[in-house]
Amino acid sequence: MEIDKVLEELKGIMVERLKFEPSRLPDLSLATVLPKDLEGSLGLDSLDFIELSIGIEERFGFVIDEAQDLAAHFQSLGALVEYIRSRLADR
Amino acid sequence: MPTERDAIQKAMTRFTGVTGSQLDTLTVRVFTDFAMCFSDLVSTNRQPAARRTSHVGNVEGLERLASLSGGLISLTAHVGNWELAGRLLAGRSARPTHVVVAPDEARELQRWVRRDGEGVRFVSRSRPTVSLELLAALRRGEVVGMQGDRALGTKGDVEVPFFGRPARFPLGPFLLSSGVGVPLLPAFCLLDAQYRYVVKIAEPFTAVRGEEEAAARTWVAALEAIVREYPTQWFNFFDIWEPFDQ
Repeated sequence: MEIDKVLEELKGIMVERLKFEPSRLPDLSLATVLPKDLEGSLGLDSLDFIELSIGIEERFGFVIDEAQDLAAHFQSLGALVEYIRSRLADR
Repeated sequence: MPTERDAIQKAMTRFTGVTGSQLDTLTVRVFTDFAMCFSDLVSTNRQPAARRTSHVGNVEGLERLASLSGGLISLTAHVGNWELAGRLLAGRSARPTHVVVAPDEARELQRWVRRDGEGVRFVSRSRPTVSLELLAALRRGEVVGMQGDRALGTKGDVEVPFFGRPARFPLGPFLLSSGVGVPLLPAFCLLDAQYRYVVKIAEPFTAVRGEEEAAARTWVAALEAIVREYPTQWFNFFDIWEPFDQ
């Protein structure tokens, strides 16, 4: 799946599950940082990450690997897009 | 500690309906019970697991834990000796246990009461991505221990009646349960009249996706039943109904 397509799907999850304001979507890019307390981040908290990970599993049809350190993959939209693409490529 | 005393008096009034000198007696009892539980926690944490269990007189509902395989969320509250309950259950479940703790809570006491080891690992919820670790642990069939009685003051809280008046409770345990499809197991460790501990394990239940608030109500009902039975082991020294107005 192309990068732009994965990013659009992620934006959809954020609106649908994280109640993200659609008018803010144009501000999102691969460089957007996700966890709260980091400068310029979207401010996602621990509950948001639960919603986001479950949404990814449902939307992309894979179970997030429990053996990996996942935090690095959820640091930014770019990292998350790459993680999803690599998981899709493994199938 | 006038603020804490006022909060406890308000709680005891609502829990028991007593007033006057009876209320004063109950209020003092909360502080003495807390002192006993805390000193037990510090001393037992320095003992091997086998000696720790010698402080426990009875475990009610152990078959409920034994009947569960795979990941589960052990849900407790600041009632009785909650940390001792966590260590005991970790031993009984024979699975790695991740205990979620509030950030910066009594940091100077951590080395006394929060030692990793014997299958228990303490995890601070200060990092937002900690929930990803917990989801992964539950999928591996491990145990996550959480407190379900202190609201966070964020959108991750849900309002549920507690002793007849709305109070806020954290939604996180129920989102984890529904997200992975693992059961929640309410468990408490309480001082009995002989100053031995009794562990009470309530009926497990699993949160349904989209119905996490209903699961929170089930939990609060279990918590309310325990607090009704052991009101002086309620160790939340703030106004549980208006925690963010102080």
